[in-house]
Amino acid sequence: MLRKLFHELSTLPKYIYVFAAITAFGLSIGIYRMYAGLGVTTNLSKAFPWGIWISFDLATVALSGGAFTLAALVYVLHFESLHSAVRPTVLAGLLGYSSVLVILLFDLGRWDRFYNVFLHPNFSSALLEVSWCIAAYSSILFYELSPVLLEKSRWRRFLPTIKKYTIPIVIAGVTLSTMHQSSLGTMFVIMSPRLHPLWYSMILPIFFLVSSLAAGISLVIAGATVSYWLFGRSLKIRILAKLGWFLPWILSFYVVLKFGELLIAGELDMLFSSGHYSVLFWAELIIGFFIPIAWFSFKRVRNSRILSMFGAFMIMGGVVLNRFDVTWFGMNPVDGETYSPHWMEVAILVGVVAGLITIYSLVAHYFPVYEETELYREPANTAPRLQEAPASGD
Amino acid sequence: MIEALSRRNFLKMGAVTTGALVVGEFVPPVVAQIATEAGMLNASGDGYIPTMCEMCVWRCGLIAKVKDGRVVKLDGNPDHPHSKGHLCVRGQSGLMNTYDPDRVLKPLIRVGKRGEGKFREASWDEALDLTASHMQRIKDTYGPEAMVFSSTHNLSQVQFENLLYAFGSPNYGTQRSLCFNAMIVANQMTYGMEEPERIYDDQLQYVILTGRNLFEAISTSETGELSEAISRGVKVVYLDPRFTKTAAKASEWLPIKPGTDLAFHLALLNVIIKEKLYNESFVEAYTIGFDDLAQEVQDFTPEWAAPLTEIPAETIRRIAQEFAAAAPYALAHNGWRTSNFINSFQTQRAITILNALVGNWNVTMKASAGESSGALGTPPQPPYPRSSAMRLDGVPYKYPVVPLKLGVFQELRDNIVSGEPYQAHGWFISRQNPIMSLPDRTKTLKAFEKMDFIATVDIFLNDTAWFSDIVLPEASYLERYDPLLPVGSRVFLRQPVIEPQGEAKSALWIYKQLGERLGLGDFFQYTDEEDYIRQQLAPLGVTLDEIRMNGYVELPASEEEEEPSFTWNTPSGKIELFSDTLDRVGFPGVPTWQAPPQPPQGQFYLLTGKVAQATQFATQNNQLLKKYADEPRLWLNNSVAEDRGMEDGDWVEVTSQVGKVHIRLKVTQGIRPDCVYLTPGYGHLSKGLTAAYGVGASDSALHVTYTDPASGSQALTQTFVTIRKV
Amino acid sequence: MSHTFNTPRYGFLIDASKCIDCRTCMVSCSVENNVSMETTRIWIKETGVTGTFPDLSRYTVPYHCMHCVDPSCVSACTVGALQRTEDGIVKYDNDICIGCRYCMYACPFEVPNYEWDQQLPLVVKCDMCFSRLEEGQQPACAQTCPTGAIQFGKYEDMLALAHRMIEENPGKYVDHIYGEEENGGTATLYISPVPFEELGFPIAGTTSPAYSNRLVTEGTPLVAGAMLVGLSGAYLTIKNEKEEAEEERRLAEQTPVAAGEEDSHAS
Ligand SMILES: Nc1nc2c(c(=O)[nH]1)N[C@H]1C(S)=C(S)[C@@H](COP(=O)(O)OP(=O)(O)OC[C@H]3O[C@@H](n4cnc5c(=O)[nH]c(N)nc54)[C@H](O)[C@@H]3O)O[C@H]1N2
Ligand SMILES: Nc1nc2c(c(=O)[nH]1)N[C@H]1C(S)=C(S)[C@@H](COP(=O)(O)OP(=O)(O)OC[C@H]3O[C@@H](n4cnc5c(=O)[nH]c(N)nc54)[C@H](O)[C@@H]3O)O[C@H]1N2
Ligand code: SF4
Ligand code: SF4
Ligand code: SF4
Ligand code: SF4
Ligand code: SF4
Ligand SMILES: [Mo]
Repeated sequence: MLRKLFHELSTLPKYIYVFAAITAFGLSIGIYRMYAGLGVTTNLSKAFPWGIWISFDLATVALSGGAFTLAALVYVLHFESLHSAVRPTVLAGLLGYSSVLVILLFDLGRWDRFYNVFLHPNFSSALLEVSWCIAAYSSILFYELSPVLLEKSRWRRFLPTIKKYTIPIVIAGVTLSTMHQSSLGTMFVIMSPRLHPLWYSMILPIFFLVSSLAAGISLVIAGATVSYWLFGRSLKIRILAKLGWFLPWILSFYVVLKFGELLIAGELDMLFSSGHYSVLFWAELIIGFFIPIAWFSFKRVRNSRILSMFGAFMIMGGVVLNRFDVTWFGMNPVDGETYSPHWMEVAILVGVVAGLITIYSLVAHYFPVYEETELYREPANTAPRLQEAPASGD
Repeated sequence: MIEALSRRNFLKMGAVTTGALVVGEFVPPVVAQIATEAGMLNASGDGYIPTMCEMCVWRCGLIAKVKDGRVVKLDGNPDHPHSKGHLCVRGQSGLMNTYDPDRVLKPLIRVGKRGEGKFREASWDEALDLTASHMQRIKDTYGPEAMVFSSTHNLSQVQFENLLYAFGSPNYGTQRSLCFNAMIVANQMTYGMEEPERIYDDQLQYVILTGRNLFEAISTSETGELSEAISRGVKVVYLDPRFTKTAAKASEWLPIKPGTDLAFHLALLNVIIKEKLYNESFVEAYTIGFDDLAQEVQDFTPEWAAPLTEIPAETIRRIAQEFAAAAPYALAHNGWRTSNFINSFQTQRAITILNALVGNWNVTMKASAGESSGALGTPPQPPYPRSSAMRLDGVPYKYPVVPLKLGVFQELRDNIVSGEPYQAHGWFISRQNPIMSLPDRTKTLKAFEKMDFIATVDIFLNDTAWFSDIVLPEASYLERYDPLLPVGSRVFLRQPVIEPQGEAKSALWIYKQLGERLGLGDFFQYTDEEDYIRQQLAPLGVTLDEIRMNGYVELPASEEEEEPSFTWNTPSGKIELFSDTLDRVGFPGVPTWQAPPQPPQGQFYLLTGKVAQATQFATQNNQLLKKYADEPRLWLNNSVAEDRGMEDGDWVEVTSQVGKVHIRLKVTQGIRPDCVYLTPGYGHLSKGLTAAYGVGASDSALHVTYTDPASGSQALTQTFVTIRKV
Repeated sequence: MSHTFNTPRYGFLIDASKCIDCRTCMVSCSVENNVSMETTRIWIKETGVTGTFPDLSRYTVPYHCMHCVDPSCVSACTVGALQRTEDGIVKYDNDICIGCRYCMYACPFEVPNYEWDQQLPLVVKCDMCFSRLEEGQQPACAQTCPTGAIQFGKYEDMLALAHRMIEENPGKYVDHIYGEEENGGTATLYISPVPFEELGFPIAGTTSPAYSNRLVTEGTPLVAGAMLVGLSGAYLTIKNEKEEAEEERRLAEQTPVAAGEEDSHAS
């Protein structure tokens, strides 16, 4: 039994051990955080009650937007050609959301009572919406992923039932994620006094939703290319190109909305007059929006894995920066107090991200995640073991 | 353990400390029983009990909220004239003193070297027997005068004095010469009373405060009254080299050069006399010595005072005119801790005379009823033995006008060190921290070294207790009875609101126990604290139980509506602008200019002065006060700091003739460039004060001992220091 | 979205001209409410020492929960641990709080504090000492303030007094009652001889951010419903179209199409 386990372990790619070790370290710090409270383990304060964890959560959710974007495209709008991207994206999404849930638990002062979110809901709270939606949506992602996990198991007999309800579940899932992608923005609608006007807006929910579409699509594009390198498996370039085609439209819509809003709010003057806030604002827009709009307008870019990956990373960078701006950098300091994370906050975060990678790799190792993706080449030793998929190269 | 505790909620913490002790000893819950019978607590032990604050000497009336045998909140008693329903920040934190984990709860006997802080716990019998035998031995060997007694004013002090007079020692040290001798002696010489009462009523229009920092050195009622007056639009002129919180509220802040308040006030007198702004009929009828005064001050013009005080002549003249115009609804406040310079006595005389000239008697100032009332009874006792020994503090032979009751404490200390005119051998201290409150701490420690025996009654291991041989733990003011206190037309009761923690006992009990062991039992004819109070109440025809609920009893109104009095207890029966008494012993009969010393180039006046969140040297260990107090720092004027390349938060070494301390800088605009200021009361030596030890630095370690020859008052601002960045 | 808010029953009137920074209110609050040693429900705001020697000034004023008429914290709290009572007191229920600290960011006055030092921390916030009110006592801070800088009473009386103080002392106060309009009105009112910004008070608008929040959050179920309908509709329509197209194609019985995929293969 033990020997079998050891053998099994020895077949795993080596990098997984590294990540597992980082995860273990991060989680042990996490356990210490639960024991010791927030005061000694974080640099959070009255002036900055939220820190890098929340920024991470928001960024992760935005990036995980790929799952719902893709689901909507494939299942609802019948872009069936994108179908093969669904599984890896859903897995990434599920892991993204799970990490958010884990981090949120670390973040809650009274993590021991997290269930009060369900027992004592306050429906005017955006955070309540967010937590309900995320919880529900994670379940849905799990549902969406379940065929992957069940296919080779004794429970495969449930598959037809699961497939039967996929469409309504997906529609619910798309609705839920639209809701929470926007609700994450809604959370800041109440913070007009704290959040710098360059970011503050009544329509933050729309900004968040739109930018999460772009970020999600970018993640699919970039992920496909990365996995092409790592595992030799990926999506057809044609699919990536199709996805890339959406980006300039989404991004332009965002930009128009953003500047329109600033114009209407009479805050255009702040674009250059707000010191480092202006710099951050422009960095976000130029990196994440202006350049990618132009970039993805070229067919040549869309049709190149490497070029579109590059553009996708820029978009993700811009959106992530946007989330950090809204949750952290763009918050006006109180009494001159500022925030930078404690090393333990970072360690926990790194641990969770490492855990994410570990689990992703393990799942990809044991389950037919890439079932429907294309195998391009036999990767060195990181190949998913279950390679019954037809090897149809380009 | 203590560190861990201090991070908890303090009330819960209290429960930890006391719970263990009380359970271990099965103390019957007498307090709760009595309070329940009196209707103050309900069946489950919750309710409100009135008593009096003793976080400082103002002694406000308070109402303690009690729950399950614990005090959980204190609020001001609306019926008490000193609180009027409010308590100050120290009063509010009083229960933290009582529940301080550093409380001494059993008698301690020193086992290590003095100052090492090694004690063992002892029974009361052992500790008292030992104390009495040492005192007796010293008395038998060197005479009673070889025992020094010292205590700072408090309610059981009558019995402290009883002990020392019965013992037969003339050597009695009080805080007074460290505090207000200049003011009291000046009032005595002028009005024949210690301190007239100030009246802040609707008529008041103008107040001059000479260094009376009423918004930090708080006396709840007077602080409130001044604040209300300011709100009503009363003009307040405030003299202080430092921009204090009072300065911030005053209509006019004059950053006067230290020690020149005398010149300022002489100039006011000059203008008022020269411009005939005084109340002629009042002066005529009720004062003596006007001509001498007029003669003396004729040259002290505002123009003369301007360069001395660094206040423009026009300002001084204007203030004199405004003050006189507002009179009699004007008040020149004497101040309280008036121990700044050796000319402070003259300053005080000038202030009292300023009031007299404008005839504000019975308008903004009146005779004070004082703290003693003839209406109360006292336990019977035999006459005291006569003491023929000279007092070590030089009163009266060196300080002829200083009342015996006030004394000159720092001189007493000096003569313990010098052994002149004789050597003292024992010291009995209660409710006082002379190691910190006397100037020149090193010298005080030397005086301690001269002692065969030192016993201290305190509630903590304060610095003085730390260096003592025996520490006798008193019950805190929330845990004990004290003699009654008359205030205005009422007599107030301090009664326990909780059981004493550990084995702490009231001073009334301790003194009686000691008295009996010293063969002086006849002087302590009360069975216990309640009996003492019953004997006090007897002439009033009320019982103790009858006054518990209110916490006070109304004194019988005197026959006719008391007419405002216009006689004074001076030799002449009048207000003495010229004092023959002073004149005869060689002091100026009318106030005159005495130039104060000035710091040499590169040195600074060292200012001291209270902060609201601490009382003297006694409350720095209170964790609640510590939580809300500012870190003690050395104030330095910003332009000086800039010149010297020093910045806010820098550590500096402060050096005087007698000492050296390290402290962090607070760079501020709010202080004269020639002064620095250090918060008093910090830099404790006792490691028994776990919260206070290591915080701040002691200004007593820097203060050079200077004594005003007339009033015996110490002169604190006369210490000059250099500072150096470290 | 039709929220109506009753006027507060009680109110504070805090006068910055009277506060002497003695911090009695802070200690009194800590004791009354057994506030842990590391936190506080009430602060002192100050201007610092301003001016040039010797023309200096300094103002201080205590600062605690405003007890907003339309409190953002209540609107934001995930689990409804913060509630506004009939009397207009904004209370905190420490038995259900999950410690998300959203209220801290939501409050435009930066009021809620947190027990950072505790293992299982709670929010620390002024509750107007409602248990004292129930016993007929004033709040602990107001009761003890030695200078009367903190007045407490019926809201109407406090507001009237504030107006009277400003009118009867021309030039003494800035002509503004902080809290009368701020954030849609609050039960805590301030008057001051210096502009409130100089005391470090947040500049608050006249409507509570809770209003915007409600606009959005209460619209959410509608949007969600619409989306469900829309998505289902889209799904069915497209599905139908595709099926019809398929049908037509089948019916047309045409020659097999070479490829349905027109995308180029670049790599
Ligand atoms: N919070 C608090 N309140 C207290 C006390 C306490 O310890 N804490 N103690 C009580 C007692 S016992 C007393 S005696 C009173 C004392 O109360 P006050 O009489 O107000 O005395 P201090 O606070 O010692 O000093 C007052 C001011 O004198 C200034 N000063 C120093 N030298 C000079 C000078 O030459 N001229 C002038 N004009 N000013 C000068 C100092 O800068 C300081 O601000 O406070 C009582 N109230
Ligand atoms: N540098 C400097 N020196 C000063 C002053 C200054 O401002 N600066 N101020 C001067 C003035 S105004 C004064 S009045 C004196 C005061 O000088 P002291 O009276 O010597 O000083 P306190 O700190 O009041 O001492 C009170 C002691 O009583 C203890 N105590 C508290 N409660 C109880 C109790 O219930 N029972 C007993 N038995 N003990 C108790 C405290 O622990 C403390 O040790 O200091 C003077 N010295
Ligand atoms: S002034 Fe403050 S410390 Fe002094 S007795 Fe009154 S409440 Fe207590
Ligand atoms: S108690 Fe009153 S005077 Fe003192 S700080 Fe508080 S509000 Fe200001
Ligand atoms: S001031 Fe802040 S905490 Fe207080 S009621 Fe208003 S929003 Fe809530
Ligand atoms: S920290 Fe507590 S009170 Fe504040 S919003 Fe979260 S659950 Fe509500
Ligand atoms: S009302 Fe009560 S809880 Fe609020 S600040 Fe005042 S004392 Fe504290
Ligand atoms: Mo004093």
